[in-house]
Amino acid sequence: MSPLPLAALSGPFAVTLNAYLYLAAVLFAIGFFGVLLRKNTLVIYMCLELMLVASTVALVAFSRYNGVLDGDVFVFFILTVAAAEVAVGLAIIVALFRRRQTVQVEELNALKN
Amino acid sequence: MTIDQLQAAAANNLWAAITPEITLGVLALLLLVLEMLLPKARHVVIPTCAIAGQLGILAALAFNFTATPYLDRDTFNGLLHHSRDGQYLRAFFLVSSILVSILGVVALAKQKMPRVEFFHIVLVVTAAMMLLAQSANFVLLFVALETITVGFYILVSYTRSNPLSLEAGLKYLVLGALSSAILLFGIVLLYGVAGNPNSLGSTASPMSYAGVRQFLEANPGNFLASVGIVFVLAGIAFKIGAVPFQIWIPDVYQGAPTPVTAFLAVASKAAGFAVLISLLPVFHSYAGLVTVVLSIMAGATILFGNLAALTQHNVKRLLGLSGISHAGYLLMGVVAAQTVPQAVGAIYFYLFAYLLASFAVFAVMTHVAGENDAEQDLDHYTDFAKKHPYLAGVLAVGLGSLAGIPPLAGFMGKLMVFIAAFKAGLYPLLAIAIVGVVLSIYYYFGWIKAAFFSTWRPPLASGETEPAEIAATPIGFSAGLALGVLAAGSVVFGFFQGPIAAWLLAR
Repeated sequence: MSPLPLAALSGPFAVTLNAYLYLAAVLFAIGFFGVLLRKNTLVIYMCLELMLVASTVALVAFSRYNGVLDGDVFVFFILTVAAAEVAVGLAIIVALFRRRQTVQVEELNALKN
Repeated sequence: MTIDQLQAAAANNLWAAITPEITLGVLALLLLVLEMLLPKARHVVIPTCAIAGQLGILAALAFNFTATPYLDRDTFNGLLHHSRDGQYLRAFFLVSSILVSILGVVALAKQKMPRVEFFHIVLVVTAAMMLLAQSANFVLLFVALETITVGFYILVSYTRSNPLSLEAGLKYLVLGALSSAILLFGIVLLYGVAGNPNSLGSTASPMSYAGVRQFLEANPGNFLASVGIVFVLAGIAFKIGAVPFQIWIPDVYQGAPTPVTAFLAVASKAAGFAVLISLLPVFHSYAGLVTVVLSIMAGATILFGNLAALTQHNVKRLLGLSGISHAGYLLMGVVAAQTVPQAVGAIYFYLFAYLLASFAVFAVMTHVAGENDAEQDLDHYTDFAKKHPYLAGVLAVGLGSLAGIPPLAGFMGKLMVFIAAFKAGLYPLLAIAIVGVVLSIYYYFGWIKAAFFSTWRPPLASGETEPAEIAATPIGFSAGLALGVLAAGSVVFGFFQGPIAAWLLAR
């Protein structure tokens, strides 16, 4: 399959593949540093989702510009996996909140030597 | 796509090739059905069904071990590649899930917890591990890895009445999801550069290992591909607990129920190494980069694991940190495997010896653990040998094998990996590894000493009470048998590696 000719892929105001990749890299970096630096578990969780979305953006862009459809299909797998992860993750966070009345990471330090 | 291509694709979906995995999934569902159908008083038979079913699958797998017609073939349009190593790893994961089920029966009896879901999730995770070991496609790799990881989130926080277990679950969740996202981004980068139709050696199937390998061979030194490789390696390093991605290990190991800790320590780590070994040929044209990254990780991992374990009093944390150092020795084997093919066999034998020894130790810990699973100190093992000679004997064999004392199986595993590293010329890493082994003897024998020799303790101050005595659970038939087999296996495979080692090293 060859890449489809599309106005968006050529012309003076074309959005290049690199633009999408920079966007994906920035989203990924925001998510990554958010996970490392934020203190609230729910915000950390949002940052994790942001990292998955960054990968998805890059995947769709690659797929479109390379003319290979595998990537578009993979996106559905990623969405499904992310949904499963959220279902389990929020259940754990809720159960933990019931026991400890907090979701701040600096207060969750009962495990130590 | 023409109708012929679709027909060819459909004919390639050989469901019979993954019979063990499908049977495991059906067995897992069957357990849930049994829970609905049986009266509450009869629910005790469900774990027995799970263990018996897995033993049956293992027997069928052993019977078909070399006779299977799918050996060295691709099925499902290149999603899966069936090989001898794949067969070995299938058996490895099945054995560990059987042992986890046996430990689960012992551990769950102490908790007021639903039983059936535990075995259900263990079976599903095992099936995913078996698929992961045979994967030849990045989509399947990601989906199987996530099935394992999400299953482990639930298993780690399984005792949800215990805040420590939940906290461990949350930590595993955040860091596991972080590592998955890093791995995914690496896969996406590799997919993107390999599929670019304008570049040399571009491939029509950029998600398959073969396609990516073809592209990497045609383009050594591509920047985006290098970044992708490093991200993929980092994501896998997280799963095996290599420095600098080891941060979750002590806390999660401590908080998780003991059978789950054993499952994490053995099967999850082995799954990580299986992926790493299957990706080595894909990345071989970037061997320089891979060697640098993995060598630094291996050296740091060995030193960190051993040094951090020296001061531990909680035995679960101690095993977690010593497990980090074992991952370091294995990583050294992976570096060696790039030039010495026998190193792969050495790694598999090491994992086998590690399985025998680790499960022996974890089985003893499961019996010793009180209701609060996370608090298991070295102090609980005072006078252990006098009160429970059988458990203490198994513990000594297991710890000795983990420390690599000849003539136990752990020693032979270490020796094989070290010989492979020597052949590959990794002298600095070898020196670090030998220092690590010497350090490890200190903490393993500290534990054996606590169990076998009585130590002087300061007299109690007024008002202080004697620390609560922890009575070990009586040993049941299947757990006793498993303990005996594990200890005997560690001894026998130390003296006589026999056909297993010969078969693994022949390549």
